[in-house]
Amino acid sequence: MILDPITLSVLRSALAGIAEEMGTVLVRAAYSSNIKERRDCSAALFDAAGRMVAQAEHIPVHLGAMPESVAAVIARDPRPGDIWILNDPYTGGTHLPDITLVSPVDINGEIVGYGVTRAHHSDVGGMSPGSMPAGSRDLWQEGLIIPPVRLTDDVLALVCANSRTPRLRRGDFRAQVSANRVAQLRMTQLVARWSLATVLDGFDEVLAYAERRTREALRQLRDGVYRAATELEGDGVTDDDIPIEVAVTIDGDSARMDFTGTSPAVAGNVNCPLAVTRSACYFALRVLLPEDVPACAGTYAPLTIDAPEGSLVNARPPHAVVAGNVETSQRVADAVLAALSQVADVPAAGEGTMNNTVIGGRGWTYYETVAGGQGASSTGDGPSGVHVGMTNTLNTPIEALELEYPMRVERYELVEGSGGTGVHRGGDGIIRSIRVLEDATVNLLTDRRRHAPPGLAGGGPGAVGRNLLARFSTESAGDGAEEELPPKVARRLRAGDVVTVVTPGGGGWGGRT
Amino acid sequence: MTQTPGAGPYPTGTGGGPGPATPTPTPIAIPTRTLRLGVDVGGTFTDVVTVDLQGRVATAKVPSTPEDSSAGVIAGWRALNEHAPGVAVFAHGTTVATNALLERRGGRTALITTEGFRDIIEIGRQDRASLYDLTRHRPAPLVPRDLRFVVRERMGPAGVVVPLDRSSLALAVEAVATADVEAVAVCLLFGFLHPEHERAVGDALRERLPEVAVSLSCEVLPEFREYERMSTTVADAYLRPRLSAYLGRLAARSAEAGLPEPLVMQSSGGVADAGTAARRPARFVLSGPAGGVVGASYVADLSGFPNVLTFDMGGTSTDVAPVVAGRVQMTTEAVVAGVPLRLPMVDVHTVSAGGGSIAWVDDGGALRVGPRSAGAVPGPAGYGLGGEEPTVTDANLVLGYLPDGAELGGGLVLRRDLAERALARLGERLGLDARQAALGVVRVADTEMVRALRLISVQRGLDPRDFALVAFGGAGGLHACALAEELGSGTVLVPRAAGVLSAMGLAISEVRHDFLRPVLRTDVPDDDPEDDPGHGGDGLAAGFTELETAAAADLDGPSTQRLADLRYAGQSFELTVPGSTAEELVRAFHAEHERRYGHRIDDEPVEIVNIRLVATVPGATPDLHEPDLHEPDEPGDAVVGRRTVFTDSGPVDALVLDRTAMGRGSRVKGVAVVEFPESTCLVRPGWSGAVDDVGTLVLTRGAGKQAGTGREEPHRGARDENEEAGR
Repeated sequence: MILDPITLSVLRSALAGIAEEMGTVLVRAAYSSNIKERRDCSAALFDAAGRMVAQAEHIPVHLGAMPESVAAVIARDPRPGDIWILNDPYTGGTHLPDITLVSPVDINGEIVGYGVTRAHHSDVGGMSPGSMPAGSRDLWQEGLIIPPVRLTDDVLALVCANSRTPRLRRGDFRAQVSANRVAQLRMTQLVARWSLATVLDGFDEVLAYAERRTREALRQLRDGVYRAATELEGDGVTDDDIPIEVAVTIDGDSARMDFTGTSPAVAGNVNCPLAVTRSACYFALRVLLPEDVPACAGTYAPLTIDAPEGSLVNARPPHAVVAGNVETSQRVADAVLAALSQVADVPAAGEGTMNNTVIGGRGWTYYETVAGGQGASSTGDGPSGVHVGMTNTLNTPIEALELEYPMRVERYELVEGSGGTGVHRGGDGIIRSIRVLEDATVNLLTDRRRHAPPGLAGGGPGAVGRNLLARFSTESAGDGAEEELPPKVARRLRAGDVVTVVTPGGGGWGGRT
Repeated sequence: MTQTPGAGPYPTGTGGGPGPATPTPTPIAIPTRTLRLGVDVGGTFTDVVTVDLQGRVATAKVPSTPEDSSAGVIAGWRALNEHAPGVAVFAHGTTVATNALLERRGGRTALITTEGFRDIIEIGRQDRASLYDLTRHRPAPLVPRDLRFVVRERMGPAGVVVPLDRSSLALAVEAVATADVEAVAVCLLFGFLHPEHERAVGDALRERLPEVAVSLSCEVLPEFREYERMSTTVADAYLRPRLSAYLGRLAARSAEAGLPEPLVMQSSGGVADAGTAARRPARFVLSGPAGGVVGASYVADLSGFPNVLTFDMGGTSTDVAPVVAGRVQMTTEAVVAGVPLRLPMVDVHTVSAGGGSIAWVDDGGALRVGPRSAGAVPGPAGYGLGGEEPTVTDANLVLGYLPDGAELGGGLVLRRDLAERALARLGERLGLDARQAALGVVRVADTEMVRALRLISVQRGLDPRDFALVAFGGAGGLHACALAEELGSGTVLVPRAAGVLSAMGLAISEVRHDFLRPVLRTDVPDDDPEDDPGHGGDGLAAGFTELETAAAADLDGPSTQRLADLRYAGQSFELTVPGSTAEELVRAFHAEHERRYGHRIDDEPVEIVNIRLVATVPGATPDLHEPDLHEPDEPGDAVVGRRTVFTDSGPVDALVLDRTAMGRGSRVKGVAVVEFPESTCLVRPGWSGAVDDVGTLVLTRGAGKQAGTGREEPHRGARDENEEAGR
């Protein structure tokens, strides 16, 4: 060890503090509720070589996705004072709404690191408001593609002009820029306090420390190859199941996750760029680790990911990807956790979907993800009505929603008994019914409508979710009869129609006693 | 002119609530009643302070009596040996509500809500408790599912959507009656805007169950966002049985002792009468920490430092809060024990690290401090009560900051040998000796504190370098200089009453009532509000007038301040700013937005969401006086000894001073230890200072530049910056 354990602790805390402060500034200063209230964003500090030294992640789907962004910028000769912007899923991005800003941090003109923020911008153009189309077939339909470029006033104007909500974009970019500035400011102070050499040693030590913690956790697991398979219920083009397979190899203090056997990329928009797959794998790994292990490159160093090129989990351009980030990532994480459940004490499967609901009409778009049941574990019942896996965003308050949109929420309750049975019960899912008061369209990107979240150690599966449409309007001669909708669907709605999303329960744990 | 608000009842909290119809008697000034008494009940000790009109301060500290803390309150009062007839005001800070929430020991409470929405209180905002620990549950809701009942009705933004169904109401009321509860919360969708259904449910409950406490969301918090309003309303109902029973006992004991009826500190930093506390208990959840911030702010202001960060470090937790321009900062976004409470609260941030926090080495080889605490039993190893694990207090003892052999309350004696043994064991795992390990423990603990202090400054758009640090609580003074160095602040203040500052805050506090009214969707064109009389203008004035009428009915001749919550259209967070007219409010909003978030958007429409009124009756603001005891510059009789203390630059022979033997102008120069009653201050190398006119030990670093009077460069540490050349 180069640094004594005390300096290490102090620097580790200081670096985490910088990322934390960046995240705080971003959330507080952001304009749109998607960032400000739902916290769909992350901030991180990287070293000059592009290794992440600290991250403040608010939702797990951003866990592994930023190193590509920084690598893409480093390859383009960044200079002190620059701010780079990108969202191209095939060059450092994940899906188009996630826009990343990368700012070099310099000390006396020498780049010593990068401040990075990523935020989900609720509209980046494309074929439908909200830029989360259920029916996209290629990347261009999903919105404006931004390769890594310097963010100048001109570029900002161009990007904002391509959004349906340019004012919100401008406000959110301002917040991201402010947050990136924190990295430069605090790093300068840290170097003044400790000397550059000590801080750079600190980077190395923090990464080595996190790696030791991960290796220590992996060493506790029995060596072997553990396989699991799951499926995605259709891609929006067909309803056919799309297989996902993983083999997790534990070998001493390292691990490998191999997705050989997984479907090739598909025609719809559920494909994942590698960065998304990596996030899902990192998430599953983090579930195994003690909670206080810091999030940085070292944490994930003992893990290798093999995702066949051109497959669903490592798609190539110009495949559509918008739902890969929000749905396929959930199934990938579940597959890895299912494999790990053979060797580690992890909970049964949770609802495994974000239940993405997008309703839009003339001049308005509403986007929400709906929570469900968490899987039960050896230690207790699964929590009910929570986000699982790759997201943890907040809901929109009903009263805020109804003041803002021509819609009325008719029901928002737990579905009692929807969690799987067992010694410990799975968490219950949610039923949420929304009546539109104007003509509108609905896009649903959901999963676990046919294949239930399985239980573990003899526990029963959680109930499957359902998507329902009840027609009430006179135009559609509706009598309120409910029509069952497929997992991924787009429909036109008439004023008075009611869309109901029932989310899956979590799997139970342990045989019935 | 000082009012004597203790003399009469001050009914009702939020405007619109039913209050006793008795008129408020005019306080009669009795010349002999000049003392203001503050009693703060903490987990271990009950602190007592009196202040008279001349600023003379008397203090006492007695053990708390957790079974019924009112016994300790009266014992503390008796320990002062003052005459009860001399007490004009008796203000009290209590953790009864806080603890009832933390320990989930409130009353058995039912909830009535809109059909279809029974589980909002459980679903919350849908987020899970921990990102990666998938087994962790959110804190249990205060009302379990089998005590949640629904009525068929629905209000929307424009009013009735589904009329209140009488038979479903009758069923719900009967269900509550059979459930055998002590309290009921009623929260219906859009009840904040259209309270008719809520009131009807409330009437039915009160008629059928007159002995059960009923809390309506339209009275507790008439503000949109159903989960937070419901959570606050439920907490209100849940806490009423406990807090009103406690205050009943306290009132009886106070009367017996000849003391005036107690006033109770609210989370907002102002006191209210016991009747209000019993009726609106959710407003009293941060009663304890609020007193400390008020006390610290008051003393710092008298010492000439209006901009401070307060730093209250105790045994198991530490409270930090910003004070700007002499004003205690407020928030309405607090979450206490997993329960969101959207009520005005002092913006205080608590970290679970204190003197009792345990140091350990994790499996990555890093030294860690907390969050586990040794508590009061067994306590730090140095207490000799069987504690084996090293704590921050043990580290301070090993380094000579705390005296070996010192007697604590209750016959405890600090033992350095035991502390050293614990730290030596820790050091073995790190390859360090006990002393190096102790230095490490202090530094790691300090790092956590610095993070908390940064959070409450930077996150609010404040630069910590512009602020002095006010240190209090048992351990505050030990760490303050090091923290100030890390933050780049040049000034540390240690008030004379550092060990009992919360009680001091109570003694001088003002009476305060907060009022709120929703004015949702009032779009305010920011370019020229006068052009658009249909929006804002008249409605605002009428709303404020209504709140002022309510305030005048509640308090005797209150001062009032008009405020409102504003946001950019479509934003989901509001900022509270002062102002009466739309124009004033919008201007203040843009400025505040820029200060806190670094930018303003002048061409963006602004919405007013709520209007607020803060009504206050001022407390006493006596100047405090520190007696002259010594020749300035001469530590003289205050020196009680010397001992070796260890800092990061090595061992130093330090003077040990007794604060009680120091007086106005007494100087101190680091390295030194100043022992206060119930607390200790470490004056680190490079720091020096003196006791000022009001008894505050003002410490400055280096050339004596003071934070708040000018910016300073961030501190440069002992490490040589040329080290970087090797990289």
